[in-house]
Amino acid sequence: MAGVQLAEVGKAYGAVTVIERLSLAIPAGEFVVFLGPSGCGKSTLLRMIAGLETVDSGAIHIGDRRVDTLPPGKRGVAMVFQHYALYPHLSVRENMAFGLRNLRVPADEIASRIASAVASLEIEGLLERKPGQLSGGQRQRIAIARAIVKQPELFLLDEPLSNLDAALRVRTRLELAQLHRRLGTTMIFVTHDQVEAMTLADRIVVLNAGGIEQVGTPMEIYLRPRTQFVATFVGAPRINLLPVEVKAGATGNALARLGDGTIIGTEVPFAALPSGGAMLGLRAETVCVTAGDEATTHGTAEIVERLGERTLVHTLLSDGARLVAEDAGVSAVRPGDRIGLAIDAAAAHLFDAAGIGHHREAR
Amino acid sequence: MTRSRLAIALVGLAAMLMLVPLLWVLALSLKANSELMADTASVFNGRFTLDNYRNLFGNGAVFRWISNSLIVSFGMTAGVLILASLAGYGFARLEFRGREMLFVIVLLGLAVPEQAVIIARHQMFSWLGMHNSYPALILPGLSAPFGVFLMTQYFRAIPKDIDEAALLDGASRFTIFWRLLLPLTIPAQATLGIFTFLHAWNDYWWPLISATNKEMFTLTVGIASTQMNFAQTEGLGFLMAQAVFAGAPMLIVYLFFQKYIVQAVAGAAGR
Amino acid sequence: MAAAMRTRGDWRNALFVAPYLLVFVVMLVLPLAMGMWLSTTKSDLFGTERWVGLANFVRLFGDAIFLQTVGNTFVFVLLTVPFLTLAGLGLALVLNRQERWAAVLRTIFFASTVLSVTVVTLVWRLVFLPDGGLLGVTAEALGKTPIAFLNNEKLAMPAIAITTIWWCIGLPMVLFLAALQQVPRDLYEAAALDNASRWTTLTRITLPAIRRTFFLVIIVEVILQFQLFGQAQLMTLGGPNNATRPIVLFIYETGWRQWELGYAAAAAQVLFAMILIAAMIQYRISSRKGVA
Repeated sequence: MAGVQLAEVGKAYGAVTVIERLSLAIPAGEFVVFLGPSGCGKSTLLRMIAGLETVDSGAIHIGDRRVDTLPPGKRGVAMVFQHYALYPHLSVRENMAFGLRNLRVPADEIASRIASAVASLEIEGLLERKPGQLSGGQRQRIAIARAIVKQPELFLLDEPLSNLDAALRVRTRLELAQLHRRLGTTMIFVTHDQVEAMTLADRIVVLNAGGIEQVGTPMEIYLRPRTQFVATFVGAPRINLLPVEVKAGATGNALARLGDGTIIGTEVPFAALPSGGAMLGLRAETVCVTAGDEATTHGTAEIVERLGERTLVHTLLSDGARLVAEDAGVSAVRPGDRIGLAIDAAAAHLFDAAGIGHHREAR
Repeated sequence: MTRSRLAIALVGLAAMLMLVPLLWVLALSLKANSELMADTASVFNGRFTLDNYRNLFGNGAVFRWISNSLIVSFGMTAGVLILASLAGYGFARLEFRGREMLFVIVLLGLAVPEQAVIIARHQMFSWLGMHNSYPALILPGLSAPFGVFLMTQYFRAIPKDIDEAALLDGASRFTIFWRLLLPLTIPAQATLGIFTFLHAWNDYWWPLISATNKEMFTLTVGIASTQMNFAQTEGLGFLMAQAVFAGAPMLIVYLFFQKYIVQAVAGAAGR
Repeated sequence: MAAAMRTRGDWRNALFVAPYLLVFVVMLVLPLAMGMWLSTTKSDLFGTERWVGLANFVRLFGDAIFLQTVGNTFVFVLLTVPFLTLAGLGLALVLNRQERWAAVLRTIFFASTVLSVTVVTLVWRLVFLPDGGLLGVTAEALGKTPIAFLNNEKLAMPAIAITTIWWCIGLPMVLFLAALQQVPRDLYEAAALDNASRWTTLTRITLPAIRRTFFLVIIVEVILQFQLFGQAQLMTLGGPNNATRPIVLFIYETGWRQWELGYAAAAAQVLFAMILIAAMIQYRISSRKGVA
């Protein structure tokens, strides 16, 4: 089990920079998720750590060994691929033994490692089958088993859940979390799905266009997004963003004025805000549908999405701006209704013209 | 509709016409030579014999020809499969200087017809004193770019993540080739193998000028050699038996491996 | 350091392609170059050579026999390629179905292609032979005099053409069949919903969809038939009176009967050039029609 250090790592394809001088330290035993949209470089970064892509500048250390000059087989790394990459004509047992044989691990050691991986992933009975005879979920487990038997210092997982159906995805997610608890090995998991990131990660690295937007625990990322990009990428439904005018309030906190005239008294210190325009960020759960007079503002409900445990109400404000508000699971709101919205101003975020997020003082 | 029925009937008729020459030869082969010499129309008189075939087995030449053809065809097939698989893997999966350019040059070789190289090849083997040998019959065929083209395409189609998983498993490039990827190319090997075998077996011009010694004749050349004299020959039936004997192996192989042969020939043309 | 890792496997990787490349250079590139050089020399089998520049080519263009072989070859291509293409297409259209009988017929039409040229010519000589051949026997049975096809200046080439068509029909058929099977089913379904007649479907949907293959078949057959050799050598020896002598037979006889290697090599270069030009013309035509 070892940590990973990326120091000023960069990569370019010709004139196009794919990864920009990126530095990151991952402590041993952590479950880190690289999260970002397609093309942000998260898979490239993972593959650079694995040795499947070359590193143009900078250095990568696994533990205290410098690895960016070593071939993939010598880095002590195991990878689970998006499409499993199982060897089609070898049996499951052969698939798992292949890497160990190349490392000249003795046969009885191989057998015992396979036995324990099989037990922990519950794949008894599949050992003699070929990958073509297995279902997608089974193949995924075999891919994970193949990685486990190598007893690596680092696990790399490249969008391993994207090819599974929804129910299987949830189940496998839980098993991966349990696996990490059991083995304690450092894991780097790449995904574009923020739910996977939020539920599995000890820390999330949010990537965009080859650079790091933010590194933090899931709750940090959610509650204190460093940039507008992070705020919009994490959280469903997407965070509401409304253009506002800000000025200082009596307490030194920023007062934000919505297009329809409503003043939101945020707890964001005004002094920290650069001049220029700003966007107000409100998560849907901080904008509640209310009947009474605690309503901060009013709007017309356009679309009502009933999810069961809550209801999302897409609302049109008087100035034409739209936001998504939340109501209880059982909601009487119907499209076309005029509704009151209670906005929790304390939870509001402000994003300046450069997209940097400003939040209330941390408690 | 009658129009399509008519078309089908025409096609059926054409198919029968396709078979007629073969049936004619077969019939002739089953007639005694003496009868045919007197009057060829005696084919229709219903008296058949297996004498010609018996004589064939007694006359060693055809068997010599067949064994030469077998050696050359299997030899060329094995050689092509090995060289083309190695090269196909190299071009499809490995990085090395000049790879793109070399591949283009190989592809350009597809455009070169036999006539442009055969005279020089003959000279080369003459200088080396290597005519009338199996290597001389096998080596030129190994240079055909089609095999490399086919295998490269096939290797390219295999998902790269298998290679990557194997690299992470510490496998060498050769191990990846030999244990993991090559087994996945069996359909392409079958197609290429059968195509090469067929091509080697039926090759005419090169064996004609290189294997001039009767002992080295391939079956194709041997049949040609007997054709030259048959105006004088009294063995028309015997000659026909030879023709049947020569054509039958390929027809039988065809019937068994039809799928592969058709695929291979169509693929070669499509290059 | 990262750069070093990238090129590390370089020469070792090239080892995979080295064996083939060696054979390729020795058996293809070298002879090609040698052939070109040979065509500019006057030489015979004994190795006595002298460089004569383009003299061989000049001689070729004044050589009546050579010019006749070029003409013969063109005639042959015109006799065979259109028929092969259209008949191949027709067969494919009719036989493109699942039924057993269609599979049997397809097998029959392709079977002749797997035979060697020597077997094919032997079989067809026995058809064309005036005395003893199938046509001869049939003619006699009908009370007519048999025609000596292969000895007739006007009929020998057509006879060879017929032999060749019998031999080669399988390939165009198979290429068209493959193309027809690639046409997406839903095009036909949409046409059916649009009330298209069978003829319209054929001309407006099927044929345009296989245009690419159509041109491919033509190129392939032109190139193949330009290289006519065995049938002419074995059935008519190029006669009567050079009526059926194709270019390749000219090359063969010049090289291995008259031992004039330089002259033969020059003729081979001319043939090579003709084939390349034909292929390029085809390519231009097909890409101009927006198909390549």
